[in-house]
Amino acid sequence: MTANAAHPVHRRPPAVTAEGLTKRYGPHAAVAGLDLEIPAGVVAGFIGPNGAGKTTTMGMLLGLVAPTVGTGTVLGHPLDDPGAYLDRVGALIEGPAFWPALTGAENLRVVATLAGHDRGQIPDMLELVGLRPRGADRFGEYSFGMKQRLGIAAALLGDPELLVLDEPTNGLDPAGINEMRQLIATVAAHHRTVLVSSHILSQLEQVCDWLIVIDHGTLVYQGAADQFLGQAAPVIAAAPQHRRDLEGLAQLVLTHGLRVDLDGTGLVVSVDGDDPTAVAAALNRAAMAEGIVLAELHVRRPSLESHYLAVLEGGPR
Amino acid sequence: MMRAFRAELVKTLRRRVLVVAAVATTAFAVGGAGIVLAAAQPRTSATPGRGATLEALGAAGGGTEVFRTAVSFSGFFVFVAFVGAVAVEFGRGTFRTMLVRQPRRLRLLAGKMAALLAFAAGLLAVAEAATWVAARFMAPSFAIDTESWTSTAALGAGIADYAAVAAWVTGYAVLGMTLAVLVRSVPIALAGGIAWAGPFEHLVQDAWEPASRLFPGLVLEAFVAGGTAEVTAGRALLTAAAYAAAGAVVSAMAFTRRDVVG
Repeated sequence: MTANAAHPVHRRPPAVTAEGLTKRYGPHAAVAGLDLEIPAGVVAGFIGPNGAGKTTTMGMLLGLVAPTVGTGTVLGHPLDDPGAYLDRVGALIEGPAFWPALTGAENLRVVATLAGHDRGQIPDMLELVGLRPRGADRFGEYSFGMKQRLGIAAALLGDPELLVLDEPTNGLDPAGINEMRQLIATVAAHHRTVLVSSHILSQLEQVCDWLIVIDHGTLVYQGAADQFLGQAAPVIAAAPQHRRDLEGLAQLVLTHGLRVDLDGTGLVVSVDGDDPTAVAAALNRAAMAEGIVLAELHVRRPSLESHYLAVLEGGPR
Repeated sequence: MMRAFRAELVKTLRRRVLVVAAVATTAFAVGGAGIVLAAAQPRTSATPGRGATLEALGAAGGGTEVFRTAVSFSGFFVFVAFVGAVAVEFGRGTFRTMLVRQPRRLRLLAGKMAALLAFAAGLLAVAEAATWVAARFMAPSFAIDTESWTSTAALGAGIADYAAVAAWVTGYAVLGMTLAVLVRSVPIALAGGIAWAGPFEHLVQDAWEPASRLFPGLVLEAFVAGGTAEVTAGRALLTAAAYAAAGAVVSAMAFTRRDVVG
């Protein structure tokens, strides 16, 4: 969780609202009657499968796509007047798009000039995203990760109140993904609202305090991230000291009427409504009785990814 | 609009661009002047045409007539340059980047076009001066008298030639922008533009005489040439202006109404 979770976010009006937001392309509805409310000051993860309507929704919030039906507000201004709020919004949507013959700094100069922002902040933005040493190099020579970082730097120009980031970790290697997560956490720590879409749910889980889940253009869940994960039944992770005991341990769990899945060198036991701590203790006793020494035994919440997948497959919501 | 104008100038007023423009302008001035002077013939009829006559070149406006004649053969390049300059912003997704910073779309497009035209206007002024200088050096080799090229009348003719070429460039710029905004793809816009302004208009012109008075590329050619047998310069200017106005309206409507992400 970010530092934002500690802020009294509910005292400020919502950063984003939408009522019945719909975008149709012919008979196909990319977004269908979406109702949103994103509190100010949160880091909101926007998740859903490919084609769920995330980018189209962000496009509507940014004035790039005209809604077919529906209304909404961004920073208190109606969606049909993006000129009234976009000077307080930073965005990276559909990947970093810049002029390849211009240097990183020149690209930021174009964006800053266009937005009427102070050009003096460009070196600081380059520093923040770790591109200061490469600011004089041409954008066309950047790696994809550097291009993404320049996109973030451009989005941060003008110290926006709302940051809209569409798949900022796309194409990044694990180190780049980790850096991007830290960067989002850093920029979110200044009372900013961040709306970020990503398929790297393990990273989102670490930075988001608000979640919006959509599928086929409709809302599946919106609310606090803790609450979403709190809906998921806990599981018990258990691993024997000796790998040869893994099958015996699995049989033992099954005889107790519990569901079990193999997970590497251990097991994941679904508790299904029972007290997980009591089940873990019973499992420990049964294993000892069978001469199986457990090297690992603990109760854990499912990850955002596993719960998200369960939700999309029609599991608990 | 001023922010969009200044942002576009950040892209164009770079050392690399200016060096390339300077080299191209010098090459154009020397090459264009040489070709126009070498191709000049004595006037054989009262029929206006695209090439300069020896009589016209020897008159007060002869020095800048060289420039106007030389540049009139590069309309195709001007058209393609403006198609590319606008369509590439769609292709690269940079219009998206700009629109989240300047959501007032008409101002963005107008500012961008104004900056490109301002840059083109500066380039034309330099090209006119350079062509005049190159022609002045070369003219004696072609037995063309340049004494009157430095008269007050020559200055007036130079300004008139500059204005005509600037209007001609503006016409191509608006048509190129319109095509780019409608098509939003560099290869398709270029292929369509090249096919239309190149072979199509000229093939139809050979088979159908009114094409010279009606087709946008042909009327722009006729205007910058000072009129042709088929259409006067004034009529060509009016027709081109009507095309430009229609193009501006169509592109403004398309650019402000269409989605940029989808």
